[in-house]
Amino acid sequence: MTTKFCRRQFAKYSGLSLLGASMSGWFSQLAALADETGKRPKRSCILLWMSGGPSQMETVDPKEGQENGGPTKAIDTSVPGIRISENLPKVATVMGDLVPIRSMTTKEGDHTRATYYLRTGYLPVGPLQYPSMGSFLGKSLRKEECDLPSYVSINPFRAFSPGAFAPGFLGPAWSPLVVGAQTTNNEVSFEVRNLKVPEQLTETQVDARLRMLGSLEHSFLANRPGSPGASHLQSYEQAVRMMKSQAVGAFSLEEEDSMLRDAYGRNAFGQGCLLARRLVEEGVAFVEVSLNGLDAAGGAGWDTHADNFASVKSLCEILDPAWSTLITDLKQRGLLENTLVIWAGEFGRTPKINENSGRDHWPGSWSTVLGGGGIRGGQSLGKTSDDGMEILDSPVTVPNFMATICAALGLDHTSTNQSNIGRPIPLSDHGSAPLSAILS
Amino acid sequence: MRLSFIRLVRTILLLTFPFLLTPNVLEAQEQPDASHAGQDDVVKLSPAELAAKIDLLFEKSWSDSEIIPADRATDAEYLRRIYLDLAGRIPAVSEARAFLSDSNPDKRVALVSQLLDSPSSVRNMTTVWRNSLIPQASSQPEFRGLIPGFEAWLWKHISENTPYDVIVREIITTPVGEANTTGGVLTAASSPEAFYVVRELKPENLATGTSRAFLGVRLDCAQCHDHPFDRWKQHQFWSMAAFYSGFAQPVEGSAPVMAMNVAEKKFAREIQIPSTGQIVPAIFLSGQTPAWSDQESTREVLARWVTSPDNPWFAKMAANRVWGQFMGQAMVQPMDDFSDANPPSHPEVLDLLAQQFVLHNFDLQYLVRAITATGVYQRSSLQTHDSQSDPSMFARATLRGLSPEQFFDSLAEAIGFYQPFRSGNPFVLDDDSPRSRFLELYRSEAESPLQRETTILQALAMMNGEFVASATSIENSQTLRAVVEFPLMSDEERLDTLFLATLTRHPTEAERTQFTSYIQEGGASGDRGAAFADIYWVLLNSSEFLLNH
Repeated sequence: MTTKFCRRQFAKYSGLSLLGASMSGWFSQLAALADETGKRPKRSCILLWMSGGPSQMETVDPKEGQENGGPTKAIDTSVPGIRISENLPKVATVMGDLVPIRSMTTKEGDHTRATYYLRTGYLPVGPLQYPSMGSFLGKSLRKEECDLPSYVSINPFRAFSPGAFAPGFLGPAWSPLVVGAQTTNNEVSFEVRNLKVPEQLTETQVDARLRMLGSLEHSFLANRPGSPGASHLQSYEQAVRMMKSQAVGAFSLEEEDSMLRDAYGRNAFGQGCLLARRLVEEGVAFVEVSLNGLDAAGGAGWDTHADNFASVKSLCEILDPAWSTLITDLKQRGLLENTLVIWAGEFGRTPKINENSGRDHWPGSWSTVLGGGGIRGGQSLGKTSDDGMEILDSPVTVPNFMATICAALGLDHTSTNQSNIGRPIPLSDHGSAPLSAILS
Repeated sequence: MRLSFIRLVRTILLLTFPFLLTPNVLEAQEQPDASHAGQDDVVKLSPAELAAKIDLLFEKSWSDSEIIPADRATDAEYLRRIYLDLAGRIPAVSEARAFLSDSNPDKRVALVSQLLDSPSSVRNMTTVWRNSLIPQASSQPEFRGLIPGFEAWLWKHISENTPYDVIVREIITTPVGEANTTGGVLTAASSPEAFYVVRELKPENLATGTSRAFLGVRLDCAQCHDHPFDRWKQHQFWSMAAFYSGFAQPVEGSAPVMAMNVAEKKFAREIQIPSTGQIVPAIFLSGQTPAWSDQESTREVLARWVTSPDNPWFAKMAANRVWGQFMGQAMVQPMDDFSDANPPSHPEVLDLLAQQFVLHNFDLQYLVRAITATGVYQRSSLQTHDSQSDPSMFARATLRGLSPEQFFDSLAEAIGFYQPFRSGNPFVLDDDSPRSRFLELYRSEAESPLQRETTILQALAMMNGEFVASATSIENSQTLRAVVEFPLMSDEERLDTLFLATLTRHPTEAERTQFTSYIQEGGASGDRGAAFADIYWVLLNSSEFLLNH
């Protein structure tokens, strides 16, 4: 972060009451939240999202020697008794901080519905627009002093289910700040564009502009309720707050040690994980990094209907260093105990190998991994049969998975938000319960 | 932002002397046909008569629900809305002045006629329909190259006001793969072929695409299994897909399908359900078995049924779509989800619109004229009573986010940015143009304009981005300089011009006082030009400018 730039920006906006903050309902929500906080440090959450549905057998639930296991071999990890795929040798060394859940089960084998289910904790029904976990966890975990939005989404591929990346009934205050990777001369960077005020403008001029804009907004929106107006105001408010803040320095990865950047992997996902750590350090409540494929573009790289084994191996060459370095880096900085790291996609892959050496969609028995804050690492949960077709122990539903995430983050999963149809909706669905065995 | 000298002079003249533009808006009005009045429902109604009937139905609905509707929109409010909805952009200063000073009591209806024939409107309608027929072309980069050929085909039909049933028949029966046998890239030949290419020529995708786009029926979930609460069963889904079973399926795992070398079996009438192996015949969604003949290909048979005046969904779906396009909210919302679980908010109105649409030979312009003539369309967005808050009651005009195209073309209009497509070939794709860059930034996955949200990145681009910075700088913007330096205008007139250019209205008394004194004090930087630039920037960043209201 260039401190010089930052101070100058700050001076430009000092003494502003941004855009008439008192007028919008969203702002009073923020204010109310601020009152609840400040008692104990709030945790943060990093979601590593595997777009397309990663194969459990080529990652954390290998079936070496079984027909359905294919050519994938299993390796020992730092925790005796837990073996994972040879594709993840570095992740194997940090198993003491992780818990593979090998008994995820749903009925949703369609990308759209499954993506929505995993990311909101609810199935799409009727007019209810459930918020993405980034939105509702971001809302519950927001640190008021943080100048960045509570939910940052790095390289998302949203086409399967846009609503699964949106704040739904929580409203625009909880939308993600979406950041895409840029690659110039093989160097990956994440820039939030247009943060800098044009050179020719003076401080007082910018100040005057925002004051006039505030008064115009007030007279226009006062009696014109609706989401487009509220979100306009909200986004301008957040944008101005970011413009004047030093926190945006978190996006400048060049400040990091070159060896550490290498360790994460010099690609969009690896550098995205490094950015996630920097954002958590800066106080951002929820950061997600999507691994969509071998390059920085959007997609569903894990959707390995054909050539599963080579494809997953290549993806793991990106995933393995990034994920393991994230865990060790967070730990070294003392952040891991307050940062939950989730590894998940929308579903798993068929145990049976198809005629194209691929695996198809499989929601019946598959895997996710939790680690870090709130989780008692170094154990696994659930067990599948040798052929991978059945769950032998501790089936985990999506609502229970979500309740566990809430509990690990220090949140009451039964606490509610008001929905768009006037019904209070709990963080995780009615009847769900955290998996206490893996909570610390 | 370079204007030629002539254009600059023209701009100044029109800003100042709007009467130089002679509007010939009074000719094309459609008069109500008195001979039909007072008869029963199956009679053809003029747009004005239909609008009046719709208004009566809404007045009843409002009084039944104890709703006090919002006021009638002012001329300025109406003007801005109708331009955005029909022409896809806000009006130019000259157009705004001409309309606001026009004393013709029927000027609102006259403006609709004038706009319907304008190139802006044809362009806008082409974009709107393209986005709903091949949405994948803007969301998936690999399909972007299909846009020119599809738009060229659509443009011709929209500009000729081809009946809607003819357009849809052409889509469902268009030859696929015949015009183009060169590998890799599709030619930009004028054709609706893209409808097939974005659905990868798969019978199942074409079945869901056809039923969603033209019938408002969502079959998607029935593809894999029966759903307990849905009337559509898996065999019905595949019976619909069977109408497209003639397309040879490409080898699994091959490159993305291009419509080339496709050998279509034009009379294929059955398909195998992959999961069960069961073979099902082509049957209409209504349950009727088609009357096959050797003269009509399978797709021709489907097209005839889909576009028939007797089809239970076809006309209603189109009426619902056009209503939603103008109101921001459809009567069946989402507009392509007709089902028992999602009934229309105003079934009588929808039935009436659909019935008249059929009687008028599927004339889309007729629907536009009727809908825009209603008092419902012409409500203000200013809420005056709590009972107006439910958008599905249409008691108040909603706040709507602009589409990416509406946004950029309005910004271009407001700052005098010259867009080459106006004079040249409209079908050229230029991915490096400011327009393309802004369209990308403003792309939204929201299902309706009521849910479209401003993002932080958009706010930053508007506040600090080079494009707007340059447009609001007295050094770089000839438009701003023309306003600030033209000798015959007072500061009040200059302010008025900036308001008209951006918000399509005159400043209020309070605004006039506030901003004029800001200018006279030299603004925050002691510079009169900079003070105007500040105000211009404020107007362009306001929600009043960036929303349709």
